[in-house]
Amino acid sequence: MNVEEYIASGILDSYAIGAVSDQEMREVNCLSAIYPEIKQELDQLLLSTENYALLHSVEPPAELKDRIMSQLTFEEPSDTVVRPLPVDRTQLGGPTYKTTWLVAASVGLLVLIFSYFLITQLQGNQKTLATLRDNNNVLQNEVKLLRDSQLRNEQMLAMLRQPGLRSLELRGNAKAPKGDMLVFWNARTKQVAVEVRSLPPLGPDQQYQLWSLVDGKPIDAGVFDATTSGNVLQRMNREVSRADAFAVTIEKRGGSPTPTMETLLAMSPVA
Amino acid sequence: MKRQSSLVSENVLIEKLTQRDQKAFHWLYDQYSPALYGVVLRIVRDEEQAQDLVQDIFVKVWKNLDAYDASKGRLFTWMLNVARNTAIDAIRARKTQPSATNAIRTDEENVHIVDRQHNTQQPNPDHIGVQEVVSQLRPDRRQLIDLVYFGGYTHEEAADELNLPLGTVKTRIRAALQELKQLFKS
Repeated sequence: MNVEEYIASGILDSYAIGAVSDQEMREVNCLSAIYPEIKQELDQLLLSTENYALLHSVEPPAELKDRIMSQLTFEEPSDTVVRPLPVDRTQLGGPTYKTTWLVAASVGLLVLIFSYFLITQLQGNQKTLATLRDNNNVLQNEVKLLRDSQLRNEQMLAMLRQPGLRSLELRGNAKAPKGDMLVFWNARTKQVAVEVRSLPPLGPDQQYQLWSLVDGKPIDAGVFDATTSGNVLQRMNREVSRADAFAVTIEKRGGSPTPTMETLLAMSPVA
Repeated sequence: MKRQSSLVSENVLIEKLTQRDQKAFHWLYDQYSPALYGVVLRIVRDEEQAQDLVQDIFVKVWKNLDAYDASKGRLFTWMLNVARNTAIDAIRARKTQPSATNAIRTDEENVHIVDRQHNTQQPNPDHIGVQEVVSQLRPDRRQLIDLVYFGGYTHEEAADELNLPLGTVKTRIRAALQELKQLFKS
């Protein structure tokens, strides 16, 4: 663009005495920022206008200043709303410095105490949580045990309820004077179960074996352990269709095909 | 030009002003209130209203100091603009307020011009500077400057008022400002 032509157009002169539109004003502002010649001419014109305005200066009445001052808020006397800190500093000097530190320290201490409180709370909560979790595990285990035991009880009950069930007590002989157990036998369903009330404990490689005697011959009726934890009914995994009597011997773990007569502990005829 | 001697410290002054320093305001008021009051009085032609407006202007300047951008011009230029715009808005409001008819409006404006011319012819000891400068300024150019600067007239309104073509108004403003520039240079 031609700067000289632009200056000669008179737009800067009109700008200086405030006779341009907002659009023209923006244009002049923009161009004067780009072209130093325009800026220089504009500055001179503005200065001339200002000087012209200054020629018309009239001293305002003295009370106008006080009127205006009363409308304004200043920093020093009561500017607490805007900048409270500098005011305190200038007015109080030394003590304020101390007070500031005291306040800062107190705040810091409070924060520390509160943090400690929070951490303690958190740790307490975590402990409680762990305890609850343990308790929960214990309870779940107990529930599981109870459920298992209930299942067994139900099975036992189901077996006992069936018609044709016979029960006989086997008492220990001289080898096991305190021996006492029950044999449940149902000839119709051919099922047999034992309930050990009291039998001597055996070594890890030994088990008790139940025999049914049919026409004087012993027939394997399954092995069982001397479990005495509760009245647990142990169901035998052999079927017994006929039996004149039941007998118990001690055999090696897993049972023997024929009974070892030396270890015969108890025998009872089926009534 | 006592104003120019203090221009060096304008940055410091602005800084103090933005800190709401009372001393800085005293300085600002003492330095600029005659110029602002003179311009406003010249525009509204009523001492009481001019004082009210100058009060508004200083309060406005005080509250809007953040809006002042030093890179776009000097503080005085900005304040003078604020003053001139405030005063011109006031006379425009006064003109339109009683929903005056066009006839009354032109009458009023005619009175303004007559007043203005009357003022210039009256010797005023306070305005020796005005007399010196103005006596050197061509009357038709001075009239136009006063109409635009103190009357807030646009090019079109001035052309209308003076019964001149728009182009003449523009060239005459240019000529008047160039003359002013030369006058203050010497």
